Amino acid sequence: MEKSLKSYLSLFAVILLFSSCQNTEKKIVEASKYGFHFYQGTPRHMNAFAYSVELDSTIATNWRELSVPYLKRGIPQEWKPYFDKAVEQDAKVWQGWRGYLYLWFYRDYQKAIDDFDATDILTPDFIDAPQGHSVDFWRGIAYLGLKDYTNSIAYFDKHITKETDETGEDWVELEAFLFRGIAHYENGNNDAALQDFNKMLFYGKNKSADAKYHKALIFKQNNQMEEAKRLVQEATIDFDAGFFNSRPYVETLRQIYKEDLLLLKNKLDEN
Amino acid sequence: MKTKRIIKGIGWIFLVAGLIFLALVGYSYYFSNYKFIPQGEKFTERVAYIDPETSLLSEGFETCTEYLFDYYNGGDDRTTYIKGKNGLRSFILDNFENRNYTDSGYLNIRFVVNCKGEAGRYIIHENDLNLEAYTFSEDLKNQLLDLTIQLKKWKPLVLRDEATDSYMYLSYRIENGEITQIIP
Repeated sequence: MEKSLKSYLSLFAVILLFSSCQNTEKKIVEASKYGFHFYQGTPRHMNAFAYSVELDSTIATNWRELSVPYLKRGIPQEWKPYFDKAVEQDAKVWQGWRGYLYLWFYRDYQKAIDDFDATDILTPDFIDAPQGHSVDFWRGIAYLGLKDYTNSIAYFDKHITKETDETGEDWVELEAFLFRGIAHYENGNNDAALQDFNKMLFYGKNKSADAKYHKALIFKQNNQMEEAKRLVQEATIDFDAGFFNSRPYVETLRQIYKEDLLLLKNKLDEN
Repeated sequence: MKTKRIIKGIGWIFLVAGLIFLALVGYSYYFSNYKFIPQGEKFTERVAYIDPETSLLSEGFETCTEYLFDYYNGGDDRTTYIKGKNGLRSFILDNFENRNYTDSGYLNIRFVVNCKGEAGRYIIHENDLNLEAYTFSEDLKNQLLDLTIQLKKWKPLVLRDEATDSYMYLSYRIENGEITQIIP
């Protein structure tokens, strides 16, 4: 009798424990769903995710969600501790992402590279792709930011070769050709640069203010003024139609503006 | 007798409906104010909020509406300096003097741009290159703040073809007293 009572009590305790765990998990899921209904950074949004991390501090996505409003509003001292928590809880998912954020929101190219390099160790048989591009692509850009053209070109070569082998050259993102072309151009290799800008235009249906602008710079250097003028004119049309490289929150690397095209046009007209 | 029963029945319906209504109101209030609220530090304002009472150059500065958006909400019609990023960069870099500064870090200045393109309500955040709290030299901080304030005319955020108020920021990445990046 006593033994049966003990068994029943133990079973009851297990059921109670299990149901309270389920309740915590359910609360966290509900809180996240609730939080996502509200604009990022509003009290209801932030409180919902702060509530979630109080219940369970091991869920990385909730720490990351808390960090995002600070990232987008220029408040880095609040962004960093939250995002670092996300990386601490799940480095495989979030360290590559942190590299991406260091690259664009802080222009800290070395910290970005360090985080991208870490993903090679965390996921040795897999090339991570935070925000939809491979860490090789992002490293190409970060090294371009450091003006380390050798490494920049090497990573773009690696990325483009892999994508071409696996899915075809027409699947490579146009920005890979653009940025590799810029790296070649700044490194003094105009022939290789032209190849990349032409590839970008080929796959981009001949619409890119950036590619045509950079081609115009090369033709100007080669004293091919009429061709350069034609390209600047076309680049301006493409720019006005919205075919230029840009990013949603911050300036992109080597971003061109309308006045850059006008300035080049004026210089060409003087010749 | 029959009438009395009907009235009683209607009374009960109203009572039950009233109780259900009160329960719904109570639950909504609980849901909004107590459910999913942390035990620890609670957020009471938007992350972007700048207090007009404590920010710089707030006196005389007015917004067009109560609600302030964020600079990036407009996509291609986001808040920008009137002369564009190149113009902003040129102005700051041409006028900034490195007076033997040795500081490195991020000097972030957040402010409001109203629907008329006027800027006000400035606050400053100071971080080192590891994004930890840092104190820049007073002269460097004042110089950059002064230059930022001189960026008087802005293209306001446009949403649904209407100019509106927004929060904006500028982040100066500084290395050994030199500005190496202006973000965003």
